[in-house]
Amino acid sequence: MREYAFFLGCIAPNRYPGAESASYKTAEKLGIKLLDLEGGSCCPAPGAFGSIDLNVWYAMAARNLVLAEQMKKDIALICNGCYKSIWEVNHKLKHNKELRDGVNEVLKGIDMEFKGTIDVWHLAELFYDPEIVGVQKIRDSVKVPLTGTRIAVHYGCHLMKPRKERHFGTTEHPVWMEEMVAALGAEPVEYRNKMLCCGAGGGVRGYDLVHSLDITNEKLINLKEAKVDALTEVCPFCQLQFDRGQIEIQEKFGVSYNLPVLHYCELLGLAQGMTPQELALDLHGISCEPFLAKVL
Amino acid sequence: MAEKRTKKEPAAKKETKKPAAAKSTAKAPAHAAAPAVSPEKSLAKEARVGVYICHCGTNIAGSIDIPAVQEYAKTLKNVAHVDNYQYMCSTPGQKKIETDIKEHKLTGIVVAACSPRLHEPTFRMATKMGGLNPFRFEMANIREQGSWVHMHDREGATAKAQDAIRIAVAKASLLQDLIPKSVPVEKAAMVVGAGIAGMQAALDLANAGIKTYLIEKNPTIGGRMSQLDKTFPTLDCSQCILTPKMVDVGRAANIELMTYAEVDAVEGYIGNFDVTIRRKARGVLTPAEAEAKGIVGGGCNGCGDCDVVCPVIKPNPFEMGMKPRKAIYIYHPQVVPLIYTVDFDSCVKCGLCVDACGDKKAIDLEMKDELVKVKVGTAVLALGYDMFPIEKKEEWGYNKYENVVNSLEFERLICASGPTGGHLVRPSDGVTPKKVAFLLCAGSRDNTGVGMPYCSRFCCMYSLKHAHQIIEKIPGVQPYIFYMDIRSFGKMYEEFYYRIQDEGAKFMRGRVANILENPDTKNLVINAEDTLLNRPISLEVDMVVLAAAVQPSEDTDRTRKLFGVSKSMDGWLLEAHPKLNPCGTTTAGVFLAGVCQGPKDIPDTVASAEGAASAASIPIHIGEVELEPYFAQCIEEKCAGCGMCVNLCPYSALALVEKDGRKVMQVTEAKCKGCGTCGGFCPGGAIWMQHFATPQVVAQIDAFLLGGEQ
Amino acid sequence: MARTKGYPEALEKKLADTRLYEDERHPEFTKTVEKISMTIPHMCFQCGTCTASCPSAPRSSYRIRKFVRRSLLGLEDEALTDPDLWLCTTCYSCTDRCPRDIAPTDVIMAMRNLAFKRDIIPVNFLKTVQAIYTTGHGVPNNDVNRAARKKLGMHPDPPTTHRHPQYIKGIQYILDYFELKKNADRIVKEREG
Repeated sequence: MREYAFFLGCIAPNRYPGAESASYKTAEKLGIKLLDLEGGSCCPAPGAFGSIDLNVWYAMAARNLVLAEQMKKDIALICNGCYKSIWEVNHKLKHNKELRDGVNEVLKGIDMEFKGTIDVWHLAELFYDPEIVGVQKIRDSVKVPLTGTRIAVHYGCHLMKPRKERHFGTTEHPVWMEEMVAALGAEPVEYRNKMLCCGAGGGVRGYDLVHSLDITNEKLINLKEAKVDALTEVCPFCQLQFDRGQIEIQEKFGVSYNLPVLHYCELLGLAQGMTPQELALDLHGISCEPFLAKVL
Repeated sequence: MAEKRTKKEPAAKKETKKPAAAKSTAKAPAHAAAPAVSPEKSLAKEARVGVYICHCGTNIAGSIDIPAVQEYAKTLKNVAHVDNYQYMCSTPGQKKIETDIKEHKLTGIVVAACSPRLHEPTFRMATKMGGLNPFRFEMANIREQGSWVHMHDREGATAKAQDAIRIAVAKASLLQDLIPKSVPVEKAAMVVGAGIAGMQAALDLANAGIKTYLIEKNPTIGGRMSQLDKTFPTLDCSQCILTPKMVDVGRAANIELMTYAEVDAVEGYIGNFDVTIRRKARGVLTPAEAEAKGIVGGGCNGCGDCDVVCPVIKPNPFEMGMKPRKAIYIYHPQVVPLIYTVDFDSCVKCGLCVDACGDKKAIDLEMKDELVKVKVGTAVLALGYDMFPIEKKEEWGYNKYENVVNSLEFERLICASGPTGGHLVRPSDGVTPKKVAFLLCAGSRDNTGVGMPYCSRFCCMYSLKHAHQIIEKIPGVQPYIFYMDIRSFGKMYEEFYYRIQDEGAKFMRGRVANILENPDTKNLVINAEDTLLNRPISLEVDMVVLAAAVQPSEDTDRTRKLFGVSKSMDGWLLEAHPKLNPCGTTTAGVFLAGVCQGPKDIPDTVASAEGAASAASIPIHIGEVELEPYFAQCIEEKCAGCGMCVNLCPYSALALVEKDGRKVMQVTEAKCKGCGTCGGFCPGGAIWMQHFATPQVVAQIDAFLLGGEQ
Repeated sequence: MARTKGYPEALEKKLADTRLYEDERHPEFTKTVEKISMTIPHMCFQCGTCTASCPSAPRSSYRIRKFVRRSLLGLEDEALTDPDLWLCTTCYSCTDRCPRDIAPTDVIMAMRNLAFKRDIIPVNFLKTVQAIYTTGHGVPNNDVNRAARKKLGMHPDPPTTHRHPQYIKGIQYILDYFELKKNADRIVKEREG
């Protein structure tokens, strides 16, 4: 059993606790134990904090990294926004001495020092990596195959982009998450402009809600065209934007889609036999019932 | 540094006060034959060096304190005379050297100026005109390595110039008379690659009376140009203007054409290259080859009976894979030579072709590669280009979306002899497109590390031509050209741009961010910004043509290494000088023609080929070449005959011989390139590298490290 | 800065001089943006790949190409006072596609940092700061969620600063070190009273 410090972030534990719960349970079935990262905070939000002062962003993310360094565990996390903060700051501080020294000057005041001794992973990449889990093991863990469902993937932005600094290969036509969806017995569905942003990031959701929802709506139109039963993603912020966002779009633009949106861990949980109750799917803004009816 | 210099001034002055004793050596004949005595002992004992500091206008004088450098030079050991001048390379500058050699009885000359790559020959000649052996000249580079790179540091640049001169004087004090060696030049040339560049170069050489071997890796000559439909800006049919040249090449008495062949090994040097050519097993005999085997009236006559019966079908690379060929094939009807080729990678050896060929007995399915050796005096590399694999720029969906093609595929699709008979159709459904987008700079001008940073130079113009071609052939068609800049720099090119705009092509100033495919219609949605309107565009078209970047052809790297030619940072072959010697290389006797040196359109390619042919013919017509006399010499009394140097020599220039009852090393001077591998290794210090001899180099190092206090 | 003509106010506005004058350019701005962003906007050749990749461009006047241009020319005021600066979703599509290997997204982030130094910042960004100062979370827990967590058999508060509030003082130290809370409170108060 591989052990990782589980960095929770904000939205999963505080809005979609089913996604958090599913992460522990699904990961454990695949040989990954997620340990509590005591005292973790907001990553902090890369759009909000990065926009105000990158130095604060570096220092705040470094504090979270040091907590894991003290546990001597690599970090696993389930949110693209957290990935941008935690992975990217770790990477930058490891490779840029001037930045590292600046951050450590701040951390000194709380008896902390960033040493650069751990790595950061998205749980989805650990699931996909054949050295760690791999698609075959995911397939083998399925008890309730999602046969007969058409599922589209939203990759989100901050996991794989900017491509050059990351290690995920293509950001134009990726298919690795579709492979993970197919492993659950569902039919992965391509749709127009798959790599378009959800619209929430960069503080835009807070700054200009209708602008950000209009981007979401463009994605929803394309998804509707592809006749999908559900959308899956690996970022609770994207999830919030698609799920709660559909209600806001209904309110503000008068259009509705009723497209269930599930974090991949929730989807995996279902396929591994967790009940909708165990996943708190009732907390979702958009009902997952039509999708569940096809599966269960 | 400055302190050090003032300290040693008295010592240096002492040394310069001994002019008289130098007389006798200075009068030693400058053109004595190669040293009969050990070269070590022939060093001038009493040197008198003249130092000349060039201002190069303000190029040097602008950042270096010339009077300070001059005063410093006067203090150096062995310096008998110092002068400076505005332009040392001018006639009065050179005259100074000539007269001073006599007047001051100089034994060595130092000019502190530009890079020796520019004016070393000039000053060697001036040294010679003054009566000294030209190899008694040494250059101190105080411009490229001095004033230009330290433009804003006058003090530092001045100090560095003083160092450079001190080092040069140290060497000039120990220089010897050397006699260049002349070697005869083989009256034959080789051209590698038979596209338009190679064909033109070969024809020029042949017409100048030189036997020319033309080597082509493909089964036919013609290269990329034979794949093109029309040529800009005149709209000549490419094949129509090319095939007469192909026929000329096939018939020229002085051209020995070897198709389906590649260079396997190169030995030797200018005037005497021994080249091994691999004639790849073609599986088919020419009439001449058949006759040599005693098959009367046999050999391939191109009838194609074999093609008809061959059961194996493969994509034809000449048609960019869009048309089939058999395992025994020709690229197209106008091939030269008209000889079929067996693709042994796909041939199943069923023997049907052999039966169909009948009495001509042209087909030999057991044929093996054959190595042929030829000797040539000079060689021209015309290695051409390939298309950049544009699928690497994933945002445009090449190889993913059926209706996204590259420009060479477009050429075949619009060409009357191409797979569709010249009817442009969409690969997805065979329908004639009504809206076509052309994407310029696809993979060119790309600093991401994925594409190529350079401009591919002919894409703008052929894309204009493509727009014209579809307007001409498809009524109501709308071409869109997505561009960043239109580079229409050639003769009649800007006029062509005007014409195509007038014909109705729409020019959209913006680079395409990505292309999405409509999965139902296979139409393509182009996302770009009209940067002139300041508005994003979403344009749905039927077909996209990517004007993909070009890159050196697949075999370029292997071939250039055989000929010892360097490549520049962008991967194209490196010319001797980008402006003044664009066809030459740093390997004497090897020249470049066409796109292998850098992207060129057809007119520039032909011009470059004629230049290369002319340059390659000069040594052949002169009949002999002078080799720089930088050979290794064996100091026989020190040589232990161990022979270790013999194996080290990369040019096989060394051998062990019996002399006075013992073994000593002997150098074949014509083969020696003066690389110094042997000299650096010899455990007994018995190898003397002429012009870079150990005492000379040590003196330079001492002069640098010890500030002249040797 | 635009030249004033001494006209009545309405005409002054209508006929405002739109020409670019050299004194609008601040070369220091170009350098500062490059230092913060760690990228090279001065290499932009204005191809528009960024704008065409941008999810915000088709629904607003936001043109990231223009911001990169402003950064290249040093048009500090024009860049920092343009409300479109805050429409970047930081999706990094432009960064992935830029042929000059510039990271336009990071140019925007750097400009936002510089705007904040002039108190130019949308209030929602500051409210995130205030939330984190108090709870450690940008999106804090609430009672509905606590109940749901209990139902799932989880602790009502996640093992973050929520369950271990002793860690919050470290966060407050960092935010105070940069005087971020103080400035956030001040600006929010100025805007909202």
